[in-house]
Amino acid sequence: MRSPLVCGMKSQNSKPASNNPMSIDEILTSEVSEEHQPIVLSTRIRLARNLDGQPFPGWAKAPQRKEVADLCVDALHQLQRLRKGHVLRMGDLPDLERAVLVERHLVSKELAAGKSGAAVISRDQTVSVMINEEDHLRVQVLRPGWHLRGTWNLAEQLDDAIGAHLKIAFHERLGYLTACPTNVGTGLRASAMVHLPGLCMAGHMEKVTRALSQDGLAVRGWLGEGTEAAGNIFQISNQQTLGLSEEAILHHLSTWIKNLVEQEWNARRKLALDEGEKFIDRLARSLGVLRSARLLTSAEAMNLLSHLRLACDLGCLPEVLRAQVDRLMIEGQPAHIQAKAGEALDSNGRDARRAKALREALRDFPEITEPTV
Amino acid sequence: MSQPTLCSLCKEVATVHLSQVIHGKVTKVHLCESCAQKGGASDPSIFQLAEALAAPHSEPKVVCPKCGFTDQDFRKKGRLGCASCWEVFGDSLQLLLAKVQFQPVHVGRTPPGFLPLERWRQRLEAARLEMSKAVAKEDYEVAARLRDEITELEARLK
Repeated sequence: MRSPLVCGMKSQNSKPASNNPMSIDEILTSEVSEEHQPIVLSTRIRLARNLDGQPFPGWAKAPQRKEVADLCVDALHQLQRLRKGHVLRMGDLPDLERAVLVERHLVSKELAAGKSGAAVISRDQTVSVMINEEDHLRVQVLRPGWHLRGTWNLAEQLDDAIGAHLKIAFHERLGYLTACPTNVGTGLRASAMVHLPGLCMAGHMEKVTRALSQDGLAVRGWLGEGTEAAGNIFQISNQQTLGLSEEAILHHLSTWIKNLVEQEWNARRKLALDEGEKFIDRLARSLGVLRSARLLTSAEAMNLLSHLRLACDLGCLPEVLRAQVDRLMIEGQPAHIQAKAGEALDSNGRDARRAKALREALRDFPEITEPTV
Repeated sequence: MSQPTLCSLCKEVATVHLSQVIHGKVTKVHLCESCAQKGGASDPSIFQLAEALAAPHSEPKVVCPKCGFTDQDFRKKGRLGCASCWEVFGDSLQLLLAKVQFQPVHVGRTPPGFLPLERWRQRLEAARLEMSKAVAKEDYEVAARLRDEITELEARLK
């Protein structure tokens, strides 16, 4: 039997945070997102905050980390948005369940790797507050599609509400004090997850990455720092957090994302126009491989599904199928495959399960047609 | 056959070799594939770590009185021990901030209820002026209240 993902809060003076424990099945069956835009998959705001007078998690002793976790969980439980949220203590979760949370972008790899971290996640999975990661609190708001303003507004509200319950470490000249000098100041990391197959196929990605990094933006892979850009999906975020206001950081990211979206559409149109049948053939072959392969690695599946997503954007496949492609991308991740199978699998076993799931899901997909966009 | 170069972080065989030149001084760091993938290759603190490893027996020069974290710990981890460390290691951090951040001064949000120091300073000056006026008018009750406020403000601004 699968273990529940949620355990009640450990502190003496508090009630359990959730009456309805979250199970791995709830995460696996929850809809990936309600919105599926052509290029920007999701918008994310992350704020790094620390409690005044407490050593940072990386230097704190285990009892101090536990004290901080209890304080934070109690405070977060008082916020309206998180009152019914799930409280997940990493030390109580099996490896596979922690890996599923990472693949859903609900916790970071770093939090999942340690035993003393915890996360409080809203029931709709839009808000996730990590406790005892590199900083005491990492407030994350993640929304599907491109909604920088709305995502920021929610993060700002949560930040004010948290500040009303906990004394946050702040310095007039340096701003919010963090464990790492790369986060001090606003503690803000604003990012967009973007799908850029056109720029990748046209061979422009290296140039784009260079231009972004020279202008203070970082380009990372699907699962953040140090991960590969499987499926032509990139995370674009601000690098600097001190000396710029939140408004300036958001405006800068927004300008670049709008620019990137335009460049991506141009690259797609040019490819479709210049390559014609060869371009459609490339997309059709990807569908063919997905429909008949017996073994598919996670990276290969992501790259092939990226072509199907592109086909949906261009009208080569019905647009309504984009949501299904997004779901397959998430469900094809290694921990998701194993959680669905109900057991740990070696890489060969995972590749076979993944290929089988994709064959079945895509059996009734229509054929790739001429682009309409 | 010569010995392979080992990773500066975990002592596995290094396959990624980085060099940094600052003011003519060359620092080299060697990483294994795993540490490079974990972000070591893009982490500026990796060079500080290399310096720390080059002088493993040097004594820590600065210690945070609040949490016991030392400048040597910072060179090893690239992370600080507590909020007070930001004051204790101020000078060396300023150099790092100048490299990795836009400007060394925060211009963003503040926590609820936070009043900037400048506002406290202005209030202190106003209170001193009001107190001298109250003394001139021999209004000692008001003057005493202002004296208490001045003492509190001075302590806050210390």
